[in-house]
Amino acid sequence: MSDRIGAGEVVEVRLDSERPSSPDGAVATQHRPPRTYPYRQPFTWWLRRRGYLLYMIRELTAVPIAVWMVLFLIEIARLRQGAGGYQPLASPAFVVVSLICLVFALWHTFTFLNLAGLIMRIPLGDRNLPARTIVRGAFVAFVVATAVVAGLIIWGGA
Amino acid sequence: MSSHADEPLGSGHGRFAPRPGPNRLQGLLWAGFANAAVLAALVVPAHILVQGVLGPLGIAPSFDRRYSTFAAALSDPLIKIYLLIVFAGTFYLCAHRVRYLVHELGVHGKLTVGLALYGLAAIGTVVAAYLLFTLP
Repeated sequence: MSDRIGAGEVVEVRLDSERPSSPDGAVATQHRPPRTYPYRQPFTWWLRRRGYLLYMIRELTAVPIAVWMVLFLIEIARLRQGAGGYQPLASPAFVVVSLICLVFALWHTFTFLNLAGLIMRIPLGDRNLPARTIVRGAFVAFVVATAVVAGLIIWGGA
Repeated sequence: MSSHADEPLGSGHGRFAPRPGPNRLQGLLWAGFANAAVLAALVVPAHILVQGVLGPLGIAPSFDRRYSTFAAALSDPLIKIYLLIVFAGTFYLCAHRVRYLVHELGVHGKLTVGLALYGLAAIGTVVAAYLLFTLP
């Protein structure tokens, strides 16, 4: 095995039992029962490192967002009570829940738009648009979208 | 057992061996997730900020504070469609992320959990569509 495998070279690796076992142990031997690897990760693996915890929080941001959208849906359902009976959600508890959901929603925005530079490939001539430019563009789009949506909601209520 | 041992490893006959070719359903699920996540990232904070905080506190007017403005806005078909897309996207985003979260916490049955969560998201979307498009 002194020869190096060149780039792009196709090497045929046979893994049948006729060949003698190789030192790396990648050969299937005949009388060994198939091994299984049960999932042994402890339930609290995500508490072990700060990065794992931040990952978990990032994934969980979708839940408060969905919860707030359900509250919005409840408000839309209240429209059925007519002009006289309609009561918007206005309790202090609703404001507190909204504030918590807002923090999670902003964290989702921050983390996901930062990922945009990693995910998106925008060809520009013979290379791609730099990741930093894509992330900046995404945050500009967020500011513009927030201004437009918030402006329309405020304008609609004025 | 002996027939298994004669086969090369990873030949695709085992229980957990992937099928050949791209998994188009997975691709579709992840493409939907990416689009829903971008939509939620761009527009949801504005809704929560104005309708959930500024409006109820009286700092800024909001279209859902009074029946007249709320009903007038929701009578516009474009707003109905926009809100339906936001509801569908956020519910799907939640289902998809929680599905993988549950899996990563060591719970088996990704398919069952996935069907239950996507099903809940679908029910939420149908309810939203019903409420938006049958308003008086």
